[in-house]
Amino acid sequence: MMAIRELKVCLLGDTGVGKSSIVCRFVQDHFDHNISPTIGASFMTKTVPCGNELHKFLIWDTAGQERFHSLAPMYYRGSAAAVIVYDITKQDSFHTLKKWVKELKEHGPENIVMAIAGNKCDLSDIREVPLKDAKEYAESIGAIVVETSAKNAINIEELFQGISRKIPPLDPHENGNNGAMKLGKQTTQTSRRCC
Amino acid sequence: MNKSQACSRASLEEMSAWTMGTRSLDKRGSFFKLIDTIASEIGELKQEMVQTDVSLENGLEPTEAHSMVRHKDDGYSEEKDVKTCPRDSGYDSLSNRLSILDRLLHTHPIWLQLSLSEEEAAEVLQSQPPGIFLVRKSTKMQKKVLSLRLPYEFGAPLKEFAIKESTYTFSLEGSGISFADLFRLIAFYCISRDVLPFTLKLPYAISTAKTEAQLEELAQLGLNFWSSPADNKPPNPPPPHRPLSSDGVCPASRQLCLINGVHSIKTRTPSELECSQTNGALCFINPLFLKVHSQDLSGGLKRPCTRTPNANGTERPRSPPPRPPPPAINSLHTSPQLSRTETPVSMPETVNHNKHGNVALLGTKPTPIPPPRLKKQASFLEAEGGAKTLTSSRPCHGRERELELGTAGSPGGAPPADAPGDCTRAQPASSESRSPWHGGRQRLSDMSISTSSSDSLEFDRSMPLLSYEADTNSSLEDYEGESDQETMAPPIKSKKKRNSSFVLPKLVKSQLRKMSGVFSSFMTPEKRMVRRIAELSRDKCTYFGCLVQDYVSFLQENKECHVSSTDMLQTIRQFMTQVKNYLSQSSELDPPIESLIPEDQIDVVLEKAMHKCILKPLKGHVEAMLKDFHMADGSWKQLKENLQLVRQRNPQELGVFAPTPDFVDVEKIKVKFMTMQKMYSPEKKVMLLLRVCKLIYTVMESNSGRMYGADDFLPVLTYVIAQCDMLELDTEIEYMMELLDPSLLHGEGGYYLTSAYGALSLIKNFQEEQAARLLSSETRDTLRQWHKRRTTNRTIPSVDDFQNYLRVAFQEVNSGCTGKTLLVRPYVTTEDVCQLCAEKFKVGDPEEYSLFLFVDETWQQLAEDTYPQKIKAELHSRPQPHIFHFVYKRVKNDPYGIIFQNGEEDLTTS
Repeated sequence: MMAIRELKVCLLGDTGVGKSSIVCRFVQDHFDHNISPTIGASFMTKTVPCGNELHKFLIWDTAGQERFHSLAPMYYRGSAAAVIVYDITKQDSFHTLKKWVKELKEHGPENIVMAIAGNKCDLSDIREVPLKDAKEYAESIGAIVVETSAKNAINIEELFQGISRKIPPLDPHENGNNGAMKLGKQTTQTSRRCC
Repeated sequence: MNKSQACSRASLEEMSAWTMGTRSLDKRGSFFKLIDTIASEIGELKQEMVQTDVSLENGLEPTEAHSMVRHKDDGYSEEKDVKTCPRDSGYDSLSNRLSILDRLLHTHPIWLQLSLSEEEAAEVLQSQPPGIFLVRKSTKMQKKVLSLRLPYEFGAPLKEFAIKESTYTFSLEGSGISFADLFRLIAFYCISRDVLPFTLKLPYAISTAKTEAQLEELAQLGLNFWSSPADNKPPNPPPPHRPLSSDGVCPASRQLCLINGVHSIKTRTPSELECSQTNGALCFINPLFLKVHSQDLSGGLKRPCTRTPNANGTERPRSPPPRPPPPAINSLHTSPQLSRTETPVSMPETVNHNKHGNVALLGTKPTPIPPPRLKKQASFLEAEGGAKTLTSSRPCHGRERELELGTAGSPGGAPPADAPGDCTRAQPASSESRSPWHGGRQRLSDMSISTSSSDSLEFDRSMPLLSYEADTNSSLEDYEGESDQETMAPPIKSKKKRNSSFVLPKLVKSQLRKMSGVFSSFMTPEKRMVRRIAELSRDKCTYFGCLVQDYVSFLQENKECHVSSTDMLQTIRQFMTQVKNYLSQSSELDPPIESLIPEDQIDVVLEKAMHKCILKPLKGHVEAMLKDFHMADGSWKQLKENLQLVRQRNPQELGVFAPTPDFVDVEKIKVKFMTMQKMYSPEKKVMLLLRVCKLIYTVMESNSGRMYGADDFLPVLTYVIAQCDMLELDTEIEYMMELLDPSLLHGEGGYYLTSAYGALSLIKNFQEEQAARLLSSETRDTLRQWHKRRTTNRTIPSVDDFQNYLRVAFQEVNSGCTGKTLLVRPYVTTEDVCQLCAEKFKVGDPEEYSLFLFVDETWQQLAEDTYPQKIKAELHSRPQPHIFHFVYKRVKNDPYGIIFQNGEEDLTTS
């Protein structure tokens, strides 16, 4: 049997960009009814095979409203990966995304895998954020980037597969549960918000 | 003999038909199904029985020809039957009533050798007769394996069978039968071979020991047993063909071995039938199968073996003194247990069992048969009667036959006094008197107690059901979250909770659950373990007990020892983690936890045990302290004021744009929160929190089918928490956050706990937020610290790290460093340590010296009122290992001492 490795993934992004839709789509496509579902869409899990491991994503959704930003550190702490979502039809949301990236770089877990998802790519005719911009930005920060459509199930699987691939293989000396949750620097966190 | 067997079979058939008939008349509809299933099961099994008889002779012969000689009625060349012996040696214990399971439990230091290498195991087994076994942990496979000595004919001297551990069970690789713990697994394979080439055998000395004391004595030898004279070989025949107690016994005992043969084969049936099950592994205790199954066995074949002792008791070569069980005595032995449950006979046994090993058993406190429960049981029984009667009618028969009362033929022929009905009734009671788990054991012990396997098997039959039932019961209660408080007194509770009409569904449900593997009666070994640990924790003679008791009373008596609520809770959490760690390494647990609990569950079980033995006694104190702290630091007041403010806002002002719970729902939620307050286990509290959240989701979704993410949920949660207007929630959340097993914090519980904490923080800082739309930096700091701690890799400190020692270096300007390890208890202050150091290092002018912590290349002088052990513990719990030293040196040499004092304070107060 393959070892199951639990990976905490946090979802960041403005309210309304479709964070939870992406997760719902990811989790509920090919929904396996044998796996105990979670009580709600804010926290969902899905297990996918990756190499000779099984990755169990524990997906922590965050509230995107400004007033909840201060709570975000609780959610992204200990995450192996962060999915930062923007809406390709809203330039503002791409702006917020950059702020999140900055905050994660400053205060997030050291080796956190960052994945940028430009959601609502089914609405590309009213697009405000060019794919090229996103790609360049992602490259500059070493993040995965895909344009997704939760609505049409485009690139959702790919997004998470990309994350899976970027998760460093388990160090055999580490506890399987926590290997991916290793935290880097613990000391630098300040009480200031990034934005 | 054959004739009578046939007769009895016939009568059995009739009997079951009869009982089924009557039963079905007055049984509720739902029973029909159960009955039908059982009936058809019996039918099938019967057919198979016939087949097995054949396969016994044909199929098995090839592999076991060397030892298994089958006999027809004429036979008597019994000497060679390897199979019989373990069993017979069990029978031999008639006089002392030590079951195979007992023997295994007592002697695990001998056969349970987890650290043994393959070579060592081979060496040990080399000199042993076939059938002798060890259990060890294979480093290659990273699994426990059963190393079995093979007869010479097999080529290899031994073979290893991997033991599969699932979440709740142990089973042999390839077998469909799984067991709640290792002891039961081994005990089973002592009786039935299943996937093994033959049954396991206990070393002669163990199987013939007469008393627990003897077993204990053997166990003392541990691994040395195998090379010691204690491991004496049986008097007569030499190893390869192990002498059997039944040696040279008359035809009757031949039958016995036949039964064994049948039995072993038969036991496979369930697994075959059940292969479709999830992982192929059938729950050992699936009552439908096993019972009926064994039932059938006993029904069909019991007769002969019953006879064995009667006819041949005296002839048994090995049987010690005369002890020829005359029929009367025998029946006395068996029948009361069987059916006369309430008779004293069974009670002493319960007590007796309590004495040894299994103190922690579920029902172990020699439950004085709580009347309510009994009643319930009776009704349960009645309800379940269909099944019961079906099966129990046979047992009754068995007994009758034993008693020589059972006039073969008509079921009605049974003496009125022992009418099947009675039998049915009585049985449950009997099982009741000895608690479900006793049942389990009982069954095995019965196998050895009486020569009649039928009795035992049959007796056994009633057990599993009951134990399930009890189990479900309790697990349900757990679920209800109420047993938290009173784990000790389930009986009354259960009475309250169930009435007869309720029973079957629950029973069935329990079985379904088991099937699905979600809930299983395998909770029981877990409970057993938890209880055992809890008992150990009260026993101050043990190191563990000392540790726990001292800590608990220390906390209760020293209210001032913690500077903040977080400090207090974190210390407790740390203590639990450390004790858990100690327990998993120590040998104080007997039997070792690995033998009862599958490996991936050990931590879970230990965690539960910690809650029970540490949090339970401390709950009241901790709550009071939390309240004091919050009163003192003003956060109580702050929350109270802000809560009022928030309550006055309408949902939209809080950012709520989804349906919110109405008054009724809020009341429901409050009730759940109130229940939560009664729990001591953080996990159970979290469970209730999850239910609250679930309810909120349900309201939000209100059939819209829309899925709500955190954008919507968090505002609603905040709103709901405000509506509940329970200031205590603050401490509840804190309690959970700090005391929950850190490994659960990334999961669903951790998520909603985080959300609840976030919601409360928002409420608490509502005013500020209104003003600055910012959380106070203080809150952020708390969040940060919490998460820092939560998300650290749990580098687990070793036992000595947290024990009462402190390594202190002594630095003199000119003479360099010397080190000493001092005995420093956790709550010894730096001041005292300094004194101790002055003494130990023979310092003339102690006022010039102080204790410093050297960490991260910096020196920190420790304030007098800090606790070095706590500082050390804190350092250990940091995510990255820090190299640190406690150094006792002159204050003046260190210009940084003062500068870093602040840093040090952080350290101790965080």
